[in-house]
Amino acid sequence: MERFTLEVIQDALVAAGDEMFKTLERTSMSPIIYESLDYAVGITDEKGELLAQGNGVTAFLAALDSVVRSTLEKYGKNNPLKEGDVVIANTPYAGGGTHLSDVSIIYPVFFDSHIVAFTVNKAHWTELGGTYPGSVSTVATEIFQEGLHFPFIKLKSGGVINEAILDIIKGNVRLPESTLGDLFAGVAAAEVGAKRVLSIIDKYGLSTYKKAKEDFLHYGEKMCLEALRSIPSGVYEGESAIEDNGFGEGPFPLKAKVTVTNSEFIVDFNGSHPQVRGATNLSFSGLVTGCRSLFKAITTPGMNANGGAFRPMRVICDPGTIVSAENPTAVSVYYEVLISSIDLIWKILAPLIPDKLPAGHLRSVCATFISGIHPETNQFYIQAEPLAGGWGASSVHDGNRGQLSCGSGESYNIPIEIREMRYGIQVEQYAFHNEGGGYGEFQGGNGQYLDFKIVSDGAHITAAFLGAQTKTWGMKEGHDGSFNYFKIIRKDGKEERHSLATNIYLEKGDIVRCVTATGGGYGSPLKRPNSKIELDIKNGYITSDQAREFYDYS
Amino acid sequence: MSRNIRVATDIGGTFTDLVCIDLDEKNPSKKIKVSKSDTTPSNFEQGIMNTLLKSNIVLEEVNFFAHGTTVVINALTEKKGSKTALITTKGFRDVLEIARCNRPDLFNFNFEKQPPFVPRHLRFEIEERITYKGDILTGIDCSSLGQTIDYCKKEGVEAIAICLLHAYKNPDHEKILTEEVKKLFPEVEIIASHQVTREWREYERTSSTVLSGYVLPIAKKYLNNLDGKLKEKGLLDPPYIMQSNGGITSMNDVLINPITMVESGPSSGVFGALALGKVIGKKNLIVLDIGGTTAKCALIENGQVQITTNYKIQHSRTKAGYPIQTPVIDIVEIGNGGGSIAWKDIGGKMHVGPQSAGAVPGPAAYGKGGKHFTTTDANIVTGRIHPDYFLGGAMPPDYAHINEAAALLCNEMKISIGELARGVIRIANSNMINALKLISVNKGYDPRDFTLVVIGGGGAMHGADLAHELQISELLVPPHAGVFSALGMLMSDIRRDYIRTSVLTLKEENKERIQKTFTEIESQALSNYEQEGYPGKEVIFTHYADLRYAGQEHYVKVLLSDFSDETPLEQIKQYFHKEHKRNYSFELDAPVELVNFHLVAKITVEKPEFPQLEVTGKKQVKDAEFDVREVDFDELGKHKTPFYHRDLLAPHMTIDGPAIIAEEATTTVVSPLFKVKVDSYGNLILTKKKA
Repeated sequence: MERFTLEVIQDALVAAGDEMFKTLERTSMSPIIYESLDYAVGITDEKGELLAQGNGVTAFLAALDSVVRSTLEKYGKNNPLKEGDVVIANTPYAGGGTHLSDVSIIYPVFFDSHIVAFTVNKAHWTELGGTYPGSVSTVATEIFQEGLHFPFIKLKSGGVINEAILDIIKGNVRLPESTLGDLFAGVAAAEVGAKRVLSIIDKYGLSTYKKAKEDFLHYGEKMCLEALRSIPSGVYEGESAIEDNGFGEGPFPLKAKVTVTNSEFIVDFNGSHPQVRGATNLSFSGLVTGCRSLFKAITTPGMNANGGAFRPMRVICDPGTIVSAENPTAVSVYYEVLISSIDLIWKILAPLIPDKLPAGHLRSVCATFISGIHPETNQFYIQAEPLAGGWGASSVHDGNRGQLSCGSGESYNIPIEIREMRYGIQVEQYAFHNEGGGYGEFQGGNGQYLDFKIVSDGAHITAAFLGAQTKTWGMKEGHDGSFNYFKIIRKDGKEERHSLATNIYLEKGDIVRCVTATGGGYGSPLKRPNSKIELDIKNGYITSDQAREFYDYS
Repeated sequence: MSRNIRVATDIGGTFTDLVCIDLDEKNPSKKIKVSKSDTTPSNFEQGIMNTLLKSNIVLEEVNFFAHGTTVVINALTEKKGSKTALITTKGFRDVLEIARCNRPDLFNFNFEKQPPFVPRHLRFEIEERITYKGDILTGIDCSSLGQTIDYCKKEGVEAIAICLLHAYKNPDHEKILTEEVKKLFPEVEIIASHQVTREWREYERTSSTVLSGYVLPIAKKYLNNLDGKLKEKGLLDPPYIMQSNGGITSMNDVLINPITMVESGPSSGVFGALALGKVIGKKNLIVLDIGGTTAKCALIENGQVQITTNYKIQHSRTKAGYPIQTPVIDIVEIGNGGGSIAWKDIGGKMHVGPQSAGAVPGPAAYGKGGKHFTTTDANIVTGRIHPDYFLGGAMPPDYAHINEAAALLCNEMKISIGELARGVIRIANSNMINALKLISVNKGYDPRDFTLVVIGGGGAMHGADLAHELQISELLVPPHAGVFSALGMLMSDIRRDYIRTSVLTLKEENKERIQKTFTEIESQALSNYEQEGYPGKEVIFTHYADLRYAGQEHYVKVLLSDFSDETPLEQIKQYFHKEHKRNYSFELDAPVELVNFHLVAKITVEKPEFPQLEVTGKKQVKDAEFDVREVDFDELGKHKTPFYHRDLLAPHMTIDGPAIIAEEATTTVVSPLFKVKVDSYGNLILTKKKA
């Protein structure tokens, strides 16, 4: 009967993860946390093995266990953590780091004066200082331009908060209330999780808890290995590119070799371009996170994240490449490189497992940071958000429309009615477009337009839309989709097209049009039944001209 | 002639329930009548007529008739509503399909997004624009409307939903547009967003309006039929309709915006518990309703039920669902009921639910072809359900099929059927514990301060284990737990919720605006009631505010007790700090923002008292006992356990566990840790035995 007790404990750990997740969502101050859910929470064991994780986005899969391990490296035998200590970290190059904006709170859970677990969360704070609002810049060349750095320092010692850290934050960021609000939300979430872990141990005893967690990790591994067997073994290779570094240089090749066996999944990124000038670099620890999310998508998508389920996966890459960048390289636009890495493995494997992986999707966060002064309140604002676009078609259905990239997940767009009040920006349209592409037996999902009108003087936009030169990819004779880019339509009617740009000045009356890609098509368009083509025309997903030209329909 | 007879009927997926209380009846055992009949989907009124017939109720004598129905939720989940079109602000017809862009099935890259209820070719735009302040930026231009309406007519559209940007703040354009559509297309059903919700978030509001429009023709037809039929059979006043906010309202009101009926069944169950709690002096309750497919739970603190508008249908861990911004009792529902199927995944872990064997084929024990081992089967194997009382005594459990269904799992896991059954109950209980924690511990409530009220067919079977686990000291199994939703309707008041988004900081210079806004909403509520002939002086207001720290997005709903012009803002802030701290464990020294005004306008209706049972002193506990069998109580061991007929128990009797109390609709498991007492209303009250 013990097996069922262990399962009950495991369920309770997952439930504790869910609860931490809710707490952080509901108390944070950054829209990118509470709307985009750009954060993750988790519980690890005393060694940093992941026991439960609640995710808003797919991108933090390696973030939580690794950050605990790095914490344990710094606070080892000679300098151990004490009860009541809380560590804060955002180092990009270690511990599951991504960029400085993603800040981890690490909370050791003590039972009988020993660490028995860690509760941890990592969230994208909207503001951490640095050269430009939102702490993201496509033209940064060193990490020092990208904001405040907390290299695994104690936010609390023995339960007492280090007021100096709070003062430093207040003195260095543009939206101190919001930034500190996020900090407290992170601590509150970790505290909630710690309480739950302790109540589990109180109830079932330490040794049963330990048995349950070992069993849980073993279970994760088993689930993963079972699934791995359904992927054809072999060595598969492919290549793509990071098309721009923000200085108009590029493209920079990205290479991957994937080795699949019944017990291992090895991704080798050697041969990729060296790290580049600018912020389009990914740390190795970020690369592992990306590989884990793709690996999870093809092995255990329905299971709660669990360290055991990643044991069969390995990532190889020598230091110093665009996907294994080193200190002090700028990395604030890491997410574009991360998604490109995922997209590359995806493209390599999709033809083998089209039931798990559809054709190419917008594969860019299309993140925009618009800052300025609210016309009514005269307050400084930063509107930071990911954008939705088209996903690729698969062997069983048309591509989805209006979805954020694979790097997001349970992330939400910002409602127009809320953003107009909060930022004083005016939205002119939010609609699917007909820029074409994605034709196939199954049609790729339409990309979309989001038009902002600037209604007060002195606004700026920073944004990174990779995919401005390369279309989303089609599969098995399905056509490629379209481009991501953004356009500034000046009030005199002049238009500028951009992909990566930092702090472009916007005048009152200018319109920013964000354009996201249509996803790739699947199968030959000639196989698409007329009834579906007719319905697409009726619904305006394709034009009758496009139907004539690409579907041979008249 | 009219007697003071009050009737409530509740149409569920499987059964139509009726509860009737005759206030003029002197004999307490005849005061309350209960009947059940099969639901008749092709013609729902028939089910109601059948229950009336069964209970010999003469409609001419009935002076109050309340009705709840699943017709709305069924139309939505089965996609059987009407062809609906949408008219929205120019540039925004895709808002409904873009939705919120989220992907709960995070790691599934081959997911499929749920399609919108209105296809793109039936989504139209109109030139107009209102700002977030409610000012008109571009006046409405209806010149394109003729073309839109012609297309709708050609396509056979039956309902038109209208949702314009910022209409929560200023509905003028929606009102103009509604009139114009009416002129051009008088036979179509029209619904505008301001009639459904006055909260912001355009996607949620559009979705709510579209879904209400989608069920409008069906609901109208259904309610008019029902009303006609009841009138024909002699009912004098039109029936009252149960809503999701736990209150009843007039038919006319619900016909304007039928989506308010979406969760009427579960809501009335919670209100039934609340009313019962009042009678016996319990203000803190956790209500758990375990049915065949799901378990639902809700928390009542200090007599207050939590209401939320953050409600979605067809929402799950893998699906985004469709939001409906309508006041709904805050209920957590999980896929865990009597019919939930036990299964093992490829990693060897056993799960229970969310797949359910339903009513057909049902658990293996039904012998109707159910091949899966379910929670009900586990309860039979452990001996907790008496064979004579299985399915209300209709037939004994099919043990051969139970063994067959169990064999597969037992062989794979190398365990006995007894161990399997214990494991299934343990996992089912763990699922329910997690749901119960979501509404209690996770929101800062201590379960020890609450009484657990269990209803539905399965509640009483699992209640004692759950209470023990959560350290709840008292468990209550009311009589008629099987028809509790219908009973709840008789205990509900007429209630309307008015929620309006208007964001402002809680500071002295806004005090007047706060009061003015509440006054405006109050007069709107009064005029709505008075138009329907209710006397304004009977309307009772309760004020709530949705508050947050400036900068936060999510809010906490705060009850403003005895709100008046004199209420100091400081007091409201204090309420908020306290609530925020309870919910999230911290408070901030930051400005407080009001997001939504929430006014509840109630008219109290006369409610029957729960009838008390007679105490004759003649009956003995022993007379109710009908069997002694071995029952497996898992970690508490196997025990020779007496079985009792609930009908034969009388007030003030007490029985020490282990014991099983059987009745037609459910079975109460009194574990060895508990004792049970019958109170004067026939409730079974389980408390811990002294150690």
